[in-house]
Amino acid sequence: MFGEALLIAIWAFIAGIDLFDGLTHVHRPLVTGLVVGLILGDLQTGLITGATLELVWMGMVPLAGAQPPNVVIGGIIGCAFAILTQQDPKVAVGVAVPFAVAVQGAITLMFTIFSPIMHKADTYAENADTKAIARINYIGMLFLGLFYALIAFLPIYFGADLAKSVVSSLPQWFIGGLSVAGGMMPAIGFAMLLKIMYKKEYAMFLIIGFILATYLKLPLLAVAIVAVCVAGYDYYMNKNNTDKPAKREVRSHGI
Amino acid sequence: MESNIASYQDTSIEKVITKKELNRMVWRSLFLQASFNYERMQACGWLYSMIPALEKIHKNKQDLAKSMKMHMEFFNTHPFLVTFIMGIVAAMEENKEEQETIRGIKVATMGPLGGIGDAMFWLTALPITAGIGASLAIDGNILGPIIFLVLFNIIHFGLRFGLMSYGYNTGVRAMQSLKENTKYVSRAANIVGLTVIGALIASYISLKIPLVVTAGQAKVALQADVLDKVLPNMLPFGYTILMYYLLNKNFSPVKLILLTVIIGIVGKLVGLL
Repeated sequence: MFGEALLIAIWAFIAGIDLFDGLTHVHRPLVTGLVVGLILGDLQTGLITGATLELVWMGMVPLAGAQPPNVVIGGIIGCAFAILTQQDPKVAVGVAVPFAVAVQGAITLMFTIFSPIMHKADTYAENADTKAIARINYIGMLFLGLFYALIAFLPIYFGADLAKSVVSSLPQWFIGGLSVAGGMMPAIGFAMLLKIMYKKEYAMFLIIGFILATYLKLPLLAVAIVAVCVAGYDYYMNKNNTDKPAKREVRSHGI
Repeated sequence: MESNIASYQDTSIEKVITKKELNRMVWRSLFLQASFNYERMQACGWLYSMIPALEKIHKNKQDLAKSMKMHMEFFNTHPFLVTFIMGIVAAMEENKEEQETIRGIKVATMGPLGGIGDAMFWLTALPITAGIGASLAIDGNILGPIIFLVLFNIIHFGLRFGLMSYGYNTGVRAMQSLKENTKYVSRAANIVGLTVIGALIASYISLKIPLVVTAGQAKVALQADVLDKVLPNMLPFGYTILMYYLLNKNFSPVKLILLTVIIGIVGKLVGLL
């Protein structure tokens, strides 16, 4: 177990830095599912759990300073749990979210701790010390990555057997209920997206997307392409309407 | 304060920024939030990213120090679109613009770009690419995560590099042309985003009532015989609207997660869900 937990901790180190810095999105549960599945030797469960968690976290994005439950730890703990206990991926959602909420609290604390270091950076800037500025950023990253690694390592190394025995002693309605809740959970993410994006004038597009998927059973990409076509039409219509009067105005000034 | 407002000692203008510096800045911009904190937010990461240009422009050490000090001031924008501001600011530094002007441009661009970036990445690119990936992975297809990473990063790196040279080449002029189109770009992003969310609601929320009502001889399955006849997926849609309503009533996402868990468990216990 030590070897596997260590490999997962290394993945947490990489994913934690990616979440906040690299942003190539290898930190998403979709990718984590693949990696954790490979490490623990159950690719199928990893992929399926990762995809399930991905849908839950899809809407939980850091919009305008909001801190969603931590996607890195949620993905890693959720996928590892599903594989180690061989539970329904939807149950993994219920296990992953509390961990993810707790970790995000800790990250908030870390951003507070980093604040005083900025005064040190001021001094480096005044001395035109470019290397020291770079060093602060590298150390910040190292610190963040190690934190993630530790948080991922501990519950997987010490908790796997514990989690297994706890899960097997739980009543069926409880596990089943978590699974039902996991299936409903994406609604929260989508509602958060709606909160930012919803405007009365665009309400019809929400319904169009819903109907295309419900009745025509179109895959997501097809729906997105239809939407891009409509949006493209809308863009050019609007642009043309405003460009013309503007050009006329310029001409009249010229004459 | 006086020294902050005054322009640089060496005011000679020379075109020194090449593709090489711009590319180095793009790579460094990936670490914009390495030292993120609540006091200056991305300031130190921003300065780190600007260093390749600043070193080349300010050969006078005092000017470099002055410039670096200004770039340690509070900064926060969307991490994906930051290269656009970097390009503009690099062009301005190269032109030895007054620090005040440069600061003004930084502050004026960082806010709006945040909103556009959220709409483009979090609300459009991510749901679409991750949705495509997840729809494959959920069947156990290994291509899911790979296709997601490739699609997402084509958009991501394309924009990072594209915006850097766009920002630099058009310099301050770019501000104006972006301002003119911002409204329509975000409008188009909104249309695509909402359509996709509608489809996501229908495709990915599983909420069904297994209850079968027995009335004398007849058995009525609530989901298949009643709800699906009216409108399939009406429960997922309804639950999303409920969550949206509660969010607007200032329920935090964490509370809603808790609420959902309770509904799931209680619903299972009484046999309704």
